[in-house]
Amino acid sequence: MKEAKEIKDENIRRPARRCHFSVLLFPEISLFRLLPFLLVSLLYFSPNLHSQTAPAVAVSRASHDLGGVWMPFPDKRENGEPVISGIEEKTRPPLTPWGQARFDAAIPFLGPRIQPGKENNPSLRCEPEAVPKSLILPNPFEIVQIPGRIFMFFEEFHLWRTIWTDGRPLPKSPDPTYLGYSVGRWEGDTLVVETVGFNDKPWVDAYGNPRSEQMHLTERYRRIDHDTMELRIIMDDPKAYTKTWVSSPRRFKFEPGWEIGEYFCIVDEEQDYAGRIRKPAGGDMPATAPEQDRKK
Amino acid sequence: MKLTRVFLALIAMLVVRPHAFAQNNKMPDANKSASAVGTSGSHSHDLSGIWMPYSIHMDGIDEKARPPLTPWGKARFDAAAPLVGPRAVAGKENNPALYCEPEAVPKSLVLPNPLEIIQASGRMFMFFEQYHLWRTIWADGRPLPKDPDPTYLGYAVGKWDGDTFVVDTIGMNDKPWVDSYGNPRSEQMHLTERYRRLDHDTLEMQIIMDDPKAYTRPWVSPPQKFKLEPSWEIAEFFCIVDEENNYGDAVRKPAGVAPK
Repeated sequence: MKEAKEIKDENIRRPARRCHFSVLLFPEISLFRLLPFLLVSLLYFSPNLHSQTAPAVAVSRASHDLGGVWMPFPDKRENGEPVISGIEEKTRPPLTPWGQARFDAAIPFLGPRIQPGKENNPSLRCEPEAVPKSLILPNPFEIVQIPGRIFMFFEEFHLWRTIWTDGRPLPKSPDPTYLGYSVGRWEGDTLVVETVGFNDKPWVDAYGNPRSEQMHLTERYRRIDHDTMELRIIMDDPKAYTKTWVSSPRRFKFEPGWEIGEYFCIVDEEQDYAGRIRKPAGGDMPATAPEQDRKK
Repeated sequence: MKLTRVFLALIAMLVVRPHAFAQNNKMPDANKSASAVGTSGSHSHDLSGIWMPYSIHMDGIDEKARPPLTPWGKARFDAAAPLVGPRAVAGKENNPALYCEPEAVPKSLVLPNPLEIIQASGRMFMFFEQYHLWRTIWADGRPLPKDPDPTYLGYAVGKWDGDTFVVDTIGMNDKPWVDSYGNPRSEQMHLTERYRRLDHDTLEMQIIMDDPKAYTRPWVSPPQKFKLEPSWEIAEFFCIVDEENNYGDAVRKPAGVAPK
């Protein structure tokens, strides 16, 4: 239990060459354990290996350019637990009865509600995290803007998403999906992205807070200076929450020398990783493990 | 025997998941997104848009054109138990797609679902509807990396050769199959894709696989054609393990039986 405690955040799993961000997130991990990561990182970031020197765009506050790779600033920790900012449980409004039932059925592998061996986080089965959760993961994402459209590429689980910025309205009655249907517009120097048409499958955070098909998600992006972007997430989901859930802004750092790495969710690897590291007690696989499906 | 053949044909049609899912978007102004393609001729160096393969037979990677396998390739091939083709054995299927592992390239290029190409400065993106996959092709003149870590998608660079866009990819791992029949790929795979716009509405792609660890010669398939679909949007089609297992048991597997 003690051993697992320090690195049980579901979000830190990443290929070795990704980034050394875990050092910042988890300062208590001994340097020795991180040595291989550091060496690989050193190689990865050494010049000429992956030399992508993205042209440093001259950006003013109102230039309406968010293009580039963005890395979240490290989160704080409280009582050994990471406090994942951007979607804060502290600011969560009361749940509706539907929301409460969903929340009670969710068994996360971090936070106070853990039950070793019973974890049912959808990411254990490599289901898409989707938005808003992908926005607060401790891995980078890239924004690419073309006329009429903005793309977001999330490194974690190799997810991509379209935000239409050609002035189209939100669809009237979209089929529910993991990512929903997103449109964006500029309000002064803030990009406002609105998304509807979600299904109710993913959790919105690592703690099992739900979302319903009535979710209306608003994201407000603002570049505070050339290297810093601020994102505020607002969730209006009357089926799950009694009031609108407004979190405090989260900041991202511009990383012009980075490329998004390949980080797929592979069920066997996830199960293996989860069994050893993520789960509070390193317990058994959930019954839905494909390995067991294969043998049944 | 005749019945088996009919059944296999049926499965072949079903295994290529009917593209009923989606593309016909109802958004009235969906055309806007593809308007950039509107005036391009075959020499305009513009491949943007949503492209749908004409054929559902995935003939851009043609087993008939496959060179002899190496011993390593043969061992891999023998270990693969596909859902389709003459080697399908009910209950033994181990197609990586059953576990939602990435199909990656080249297989994603020949799936019977649309792909979208977006060209940005120094870079081309491909979005494959099936399994919501995306890929970057660097087109800023950079060389292929010297010793890349093996990945599902590899590291891809592209350049124009006349009116043909040539994409070279290396740095692949040996996990996915290159087709539905269990043909392998190794870390030595050098994949070349040649794209040419025959006319405004037609894109031709030729796949050339040079993988000396798996095949005794380069595997050159005949070109596959795609049709421009300016009013479509790429829909959301994720691979969800539970759903895949259900679908696999109910529809895809040769005898519709669950694995033992």
